[in-house]
Amino acid sequence: MIKKVLVANRGEIAVRVMRSCREMGIRSVAVFSDADRNSMHVRYADEAYNIGPAPSRESYLNIEAIIQAAKISGADAIHPGYGFLSENAAFATRCQDEGIIFVGPDPYAITTMGDKIIARQTMIAAGVPVVPGTTEKINDEEKALEIVKEIGLPIMIKASAGGGGKGMRLVKHIDELGSSFRRAKSEAMNAFGNDAVYIEKYIQSPHHIEFQILADSHGNVVHLFERECSIQRRHQKVIEETPSPLMNPELRREMGETAVQAARAVNYKGAGTIEFIVSDDLEYYFLEMNTRLQVEHPVTERVVGVDLVKEQINIANGNPLPFRQEDLRQSGHSIQCRIYAEDPDNNFMPNPGLISHITEPHGLGLRCDGYVYEGYEIPIYYDPMITKLISWGETRTEAIARMKRALYEYKITGVKTNIKFLEKIMDTKDFKDGKYNTHFIEKNEEALHASRLCGTECEDMAIMAAFIDFLTKMERIQPPKYTDELGSNWKDFGRKRNVLRL
Amino acid sequence: MAYEVNLEHRSAKVELLNRAGNKVLLDIDGHKYDVDIAMVEKGVYSIIYNGHSYNVELIEGDSSKKYIVNTFAKTFNVEIVDAESKYISSRSQGMEAEEENSVVSPMPGKVVRIPVSVGDAVTAGQTLIVVEAMKMQSEFKASHDKKVLEILVKEGDTVNAHQLMMKLE
Repeated sequence: MIKKVLVANRGEIAVRVMRSCREMGIRSVAVFSDADRNSMHVRYADEAYNIGPAPSRESYLNIEAIIQAAKISGADAIHPGYGFLSENAAFATRCQDEGIIFVGPDPYAITTMGDKIIARQTMIAAGVPVVPGTTEKINDEEKALEIVKEIGLPIMIKASAGGGGKGMRLVKHIDELGSSFRRAKSEAMNAFGNDAVYIEKYIQSPHHIEFQILADSHGNVVHLFERECSIQRRHQKVIEETPSPLMNPELRREMGETAVQAARAVNYKGAGTIEFIVSDDLEYYFLEMNTRLQVEHPVTERVVGVDLVKEQINIANGNPLPFRQEDLRQSGHSIQCRIYAEDPDNNFMPNPGLISHITEPHGLGLRCDGYVYEGYEIPIYYDPMITKLISWGETRTEAIARMKRALYEYKITGVKTNIKFLEKIMDTKDFKDGKYNTHFIEKNEEALHASRLCGTECEDMAIMAAFIDFLTKMERIQPPKYTDELGSNWKDFGRKRNVLRL
Repeated sequence: MAYEVNLEHRSAKVELLNRAGNKVLLDIDGHKYDVDIAMVEKGVYSIIYNGHSYNVELIEGDSSKKYIVNTFAKTFNVEIVDAESKYISSRSQGMEAEEENSVVSPMPGKVVRIPVSVGDAVTAGQTLIVVEAMKMQSEFKASHDKKVLEILVKEGDTVNAHQLMMKLE
């Protein structure tokens, strides 16, 4: 039985994992870099150990230091969260070797799913539909041209070691093929140290839908339905929801079964996610598997009523799943907005800084997973995400209204955030109608960047607040009256008298 | 005493007529406002005007006279112009050309790469410096054909927002 868990992560997810640990009566151990001494996860945990300097490479990605901290603290398990070492097979193997439970799948599943070409081959063998394209790496341009003739344009050239939106190149015209191919190869080499690339058909107006999987070590695999993640910027998700407005019960059942099949094909154990690309006419293809907890896991937790971190720990303990597929159902609708410290008007440039004030929303049907507080300085070294807002409603309309209310209540000063941008998305017709795909932000760019009307009166309120604040500040820095120097009047008098005498 | 307050491109004349605690009487561009204004939390003002409740958030800019102001609908840059700022702005006419000649970091971050050296002739669009913050790299490019005059940071340095990193000619 796991009694103490080291959380090899930071930020909101570290706090999220520790919360479940606390509920389960498990002690939690935080690790932190020099930049994170004041971070919330360090304060929340029962124990905390420094693992090195601020850059991730020297701290949160430093396997040796993390294993050391686990040994010193006597942690019997390590939860990797998401990002950092969560999909690192070498780390999972190392934990095994040290006799520490890695809360996640076996290194085999991580390796298989981590290499896109091997993953494609494995999925095809398991009867899971993949995007039409190659199953082997492509070495020369002639071969690439042959493939293109076979599957037709447009295509995507992808790095086998890539993922998370990195190492992809879109080819729309045949004359771009040569240069794009060479570029993709050299980029893959630079970014991942592996120049293997493959070719996939590019799905027009795609939807990004994923299925949550839970698998125990007794051969039970269930899915916890879908999450719709099509609203993305720079290939990164911004808003996720479940159920997907695109889904119907028939497709849901079919895709869910396919997801379970995919997980079985790699002997999966733990919580994982099968990502699919779905076309407008509801053709679906396996895209990749994330062998970890996802950022957007709370929407599933809310609608299905399962604590995924708790289940991860149960599975790591060797316990069977406490429910079967037929016990699970979706109740209501849940939406998650990711709040980033960034400037949406300036190409989503990150905006780290000191939080001078924060008020997080509360109230019915709302969850707020964050880690920042008043006076906290967001470090420049890590991800700009500061909070996840999760709303729930009986219907999708209610969940949207509730999210709008939460965004209105969310007050943060000191850093720029995308809150207003998210509010505008909630007001967009395409979003309200649930008719959107991964091109949503591009398509609605004008509406999303249009400034809302602020009339003269509203402008005057802005002027007024700044002006009054300025005056108050001026009063405060007026030189104080010299009451404490009253005694010196005698000195002055004496000096004057001396001068006069001369 | 009347102040000038700049809100984006609008320049407003603002005068405090009376102030008793939270009750403030103001004149903004000839319009009289009788309001109840209070700083309810650090950086957050609540204004009650004609029974309407407004919330305004302030983020102090690089000087005590500059603010980024969030209203419900919109975000503004606001600057209070007093005698001192007037004097400075009267002296800095024609500073715009100078701006083109300096590379300033818009955010705190870390210098990843400086592909140019002092004395290099650079062409418009050429990358001068790469700064990384929060896992995202931003490239700063030359706007015109220039020459690198001075580099004030080195690779691996941490930079603050608005820090001057490079001078061009």
